[in-house]
Amino acid sequence: MLARNMRSPIILAAVAALLIGACAPGGPQSATTQPQPSASSGPKVLKMARNAEPFSTFVPWRIDDNPALFISVNVYDTLLRTTKDGTGVEPGLATKWESTADGLSWTFTLRDGVKFSDGTPLKASDVKASLDMARGGEQSSWKDNYKAIKEITAVDDKTVKIVLSQPYAPLLSVLAMFSGGVLPADMAKATDAKDYDAGLAWKTKGTGAYFAEGWKKGDPIVLKRNPNYWKGKPAVDEVRIEYIPDDNTRVLKLQGGETDLIDFVPFSQIAALNGQPGVKAQTFTIQQTAFVILNNSKPPLNDVKVRQALNYATDKDAIIKNVYFSQAKFMNSPIPQGTYWDKNLPGYPYDLEKAKKLMSESSGKAGFKMDMQVRSGNTNFANTAVILKDAWAKIGVTVDIQTLETSVVRTNYRAGDYMSTPSAWTNDMNDPTQIVNYAMRGGASPFAYWTRYNNPDLNDKITKADLEQDAKKREAQYSEIQKIYLDAAPLVFIAYLGATAGWRNNVDGFLIDGLSYYRFEDVKINK
Amino acid sequence: MGRAAYFRKRLLLMAFVLFGVTVVIFSMVRILPGDPAFLILGDRATDEKAAELREQLGLNRPALEQYWMFVSGFARGDMGQSLLYRQPVGDLVLRRVPVSLALAAYAMGLAAVITLTFGILAAINKGRWPDQLIRVGFLFALTTPNFWFGILLILLLGLTLHWFPVAGFGETPAQHVWYLFLPALTLALQLSAVLIRNLRGQIILTMRSDYVRTAHAKGLSGSLVLLRHVLRNALLSTLTIFGLQFGFLVGGAIVVETVFALPGTGQLLIQSITARDYPVVQAITVISAVLVIVVNLVVDLSYSFLDPRVTYE
Repeated sequence: MLARNMRSPIILAAVAALLIGACAPGGPQSATTQPQPSASSGPKVLKMARNAEPFSTFVPWRIDDNPALFISVNVYDTLLRTTKDGTGVEPGLATKWESTADGLSWTFTLRDGVKFSDGTPLKASDVKASLDMARGGEQSSWKDNYKAIKEITAVDDKTVKIVLSQPYAPLLSVLAMFSGGVLPADMAKATDAKDYDAGLAWKTKGTGAYFAEGWKKGDPIVLKRNPNYWKGKPAVDEVRIEYIPDDNTRVLKLQGGETDLIDFVPFSQIAALNGQPGVKAQTFTIQQTAFVILNNSKPPLNDVKVRQALNYATDKDAIIKNVYFSQAKFMNSPIPQGTYWDKNLPGYPYDLEKAKKLMSESSGKAGFKMDMQVRSGNTNFANTAVILKDAWAKIGVTVDIQTLETSVVRTNYRAGDYMSTPSAWTNDMNDPTQIVNYAMRGGASPFAYWTRYNNPDLNDKITKADLEQDAKKREAQYSEIQKIYLDAAPLVFIAYLGATAGWRNNVDGFLIDGLSYYRFEDVKINK
Repeated sequence: MGRAAYFRKRLLLMAFVLFGVTVVIFSMVRILPGDPAFLILGDRATDEKAAELREQLGLNRPALEQYWMFVSGFARGDMGQSLLYRQPVGDLVLRRVPVSLALAAYAMGLAAVITLTFGILAAINKGRWPDQLIRVGFLFALTTPNFWFGILLILLLGLTLHWFPVAGFGETPAQHVWYLFLPALTLALQLSAVLIRNLRGQIILTMRSDYVRTAHAKGLSGSLVLLRHVLRNALLSTLTIFGLQFGFLVGGAIVVETVFALPGTGQLLIQSITARDYPVVQAITVISAVLVIVVNLVVDLSYSFLDPRVTYE
């Protein structure tokens, strides 16, 4: 009796409980019918979901993380810009530039009518103050890139002169880097104080297409259109960037129409997303490489034949297909596909016979064991390691995969306490000088990307290439550098990677450029 | 011992527990391998720059001095500076606490409704199909990891049925309630799975007791007996578990906040552990510990209200 009497109120209660949420304010309706911005009604808002939040102090030369960098290029302009394909430079705040014959003195003419987002006109003194901070400020993270600069002067309001202490071929590329973003002079100087309040940096004042009125970690980042932008009014009034760390959740939010644009679509989901109505996904070519770092100081990895054998024994196609879902390309040269990339180098095509032969001639012919330290949480590296373990077993190499936290892997390879570890590199500038100096120059920290490879002859060639003014000669020098490094095989070269993004069909013009930047000024929202 | 004396004793005990928590968490984050300087400066930093940063952050001072700065600062309400964000830890953490508390409270509220509903339903249908279905169903909820369970809920209730948003926190308080529903449900279903089994068992046990038979014999209606006599007694042990599970909620929230992209302390904790942001990890751990201790104390104190016979020794 009791049981029967109780049942219906209980079921009602259960249904009620489930409905509390469903009927909550907003109601189910607003979940699906997001207020779609249209030409006539209200501002056009682009909603983006991103995989990470910025953490650097938001001042161009203090930025050291990608999420901050990606916003910086939308807020702060540089003297020059990198072209969309990432292989050259084009005018930015400067429309004209020329150098003296010795390449030591450069004069830049600023664009007419450029204003900061608050309406103040841009002056040469602002450019000087900002670049002085980037190259000499206590807090700058990028001083090394500006080492060749001796002095910067504001000749008049429209002219900036840069004097070098020695010829420096990558100068224009360096000036196109995000770290040289221009702030009003007083603000630029204020950022260098020890007790500078990092919160102030988010009240931005730049000449870029958008500006921010402030940001607190955990909130969406709101970018507003700069009414004074020199390229004309951007089509999107406001960009709201939400932080959604989980890859699957980000994709689901896009599918559910809760966001217009997402970054870092897992490679495995690109094809699937493109098969669905209403959304698109794409892999953009950027200057990024994937490889395995070898500790060249640990026998038998000190033997070039062993390192070459490992390269030949690596089935790149299998990795590209199974790890990167065919969204990557064979890596034929040690540097990314940017300026002075030598497309004619052969790389190490998969050749098991050649690998076996090299092994039999090497100091590792009896076979050996080595660790492979994999950063936990990086599925691409983990999957690569599994394929390599299997592939290298065929030439007598036993790989011991150790999954460790990123910080531990870093500490270990800096200390030389490892034999191999998968890694990746992204160019921050369109000139090869950065990767070549970091990954190939030996003898001092960072010891050729911590490989401990050191070739004094190659080190000299790297120094020379930085000084060479003639582009043709420089190209030849970099070809030679690439070839020497490729043959020495301090790394196992795997693939050129891309950057992925997905968006709703009404988003138009989104593009990730060669250096993996994207500019919202190019984006339109169609109704 | 009276309620007040018991309360004082518990407060004293709490101080000891907190001291233990600070020692353990302080040592643990530092025993973990990995250098915060390189995590902050990135892969391409030089050794000199890292040394400079360690100096600036006070990471090369003696451990005891660092511990004293942490504890004395905390006592003054100053949680220090985040290593990664260079912002006061208080600003970072405190604005996230309400999100996590709201999630926990929401989950507990939903869990209470779900537990009462299905616990009673299962008990009164003991051995019949509704009972079996409830037990098997919640066993599934209990054994499924909550990151997976969360995604299943998003797929069904968010993406397919469009009843709820997929993820995020919304911007107005009304939206918060609506956005928090799925994450709270994810936690609540798992929590209920434990509670329902307990409540069902307790109800069945209580229904066999003499006073319940007497109540029926007096001619009281079935629902009155259940609500007034059975439930009140059966709830006591379920409530204990409910209090203990608050710790589970705080832990579970870490994963759920990441899946549903909620800007709570759990999400911040994950970022901070990976970045070896010692002060933030310490602050969140101590705050969570205080919360768990307080909730358990409140639950213990509530016994005497539910059952006047309970005294504290």
